Amino acid sequence: MASGRIRNNVRTLRFHRSEMTQQELAEKVGVTRQTVIAIEGDKYSPSLEVAFRIAHAFGVPLEEVFHYESSEP
Amino acid sequence: MDLSYQEKSILGSLLAMVVVYGYYFANALRHAGEPDFASGGIGRLIFAVIAIVVIQIVYQIILALESRPEPKDERDVLIECKAYRNGYFALATGAFLVIGGVIMAVLARDAAPTRIIVTPFLIVNLVLLFMVLAELVKLLTQLFYYRKGF
Repeated sequence: MASGRIRNNVRTLRFHRSEMTQQELAEKVGVTRQTVIAIEGDKYSPSLEVAFRIAHAFGVPLEEVFHYESSEP
Repeated sequence: MDLSYQEKSILGSLLAMVVVYGYYFANALRHAGEPDFASGGIGRLIFAVIAIVVIQIVYQIILALESRPEPKDERDVLIECKAYRNGYFALATGAFLVIGGVIMAVLARDAAPTRIIVTPFLIVNLVLLFMVLAELVKLLTQLFYYRKGF
């Protein structure tokens, strides 16, 4: 099975949205602040639905927020 | 340490269980020699169950008043699922141990040098012990994933 990691730019996107706080993003997306922290730290990969909601909160396409890093050469 | 609402809730449940059931099992050990479970055993068990329910309700009310309650999101539910899986394994292991232990005790009733008397008191407390351990495994798994990250 192919292995890899899902990385994200949530922290950077928050910074470019006038330093949107983690709590503000959490409320917009409908998750807890701890989940936003876990996503930013690449410790948790959200469901497709939450991923789309995060992208929608920033007003950007999904691939600008999340990208897949394959460990295979 | 920055604890989330869910973590505080779990920690409260964990402490309540350790204190109440720790006290209950310490008491049960003192009465382990009694062959008749009905003589006080049921009363102590009911008291423990009521105590844990009351402590939980009071703690959850205080927690809700002190910190803003957060509804569970998908990560909370996933962590809970993993915790229930581990708790189930602990409970199933306990059930097999109790069943195996009772069968062994009955089979070796006359052969064993020291007779093991399988009383209702012993069986009820062993089952309860593994139920409590399974719940502790569930709560500790949740805390582990919240701290480690998931």
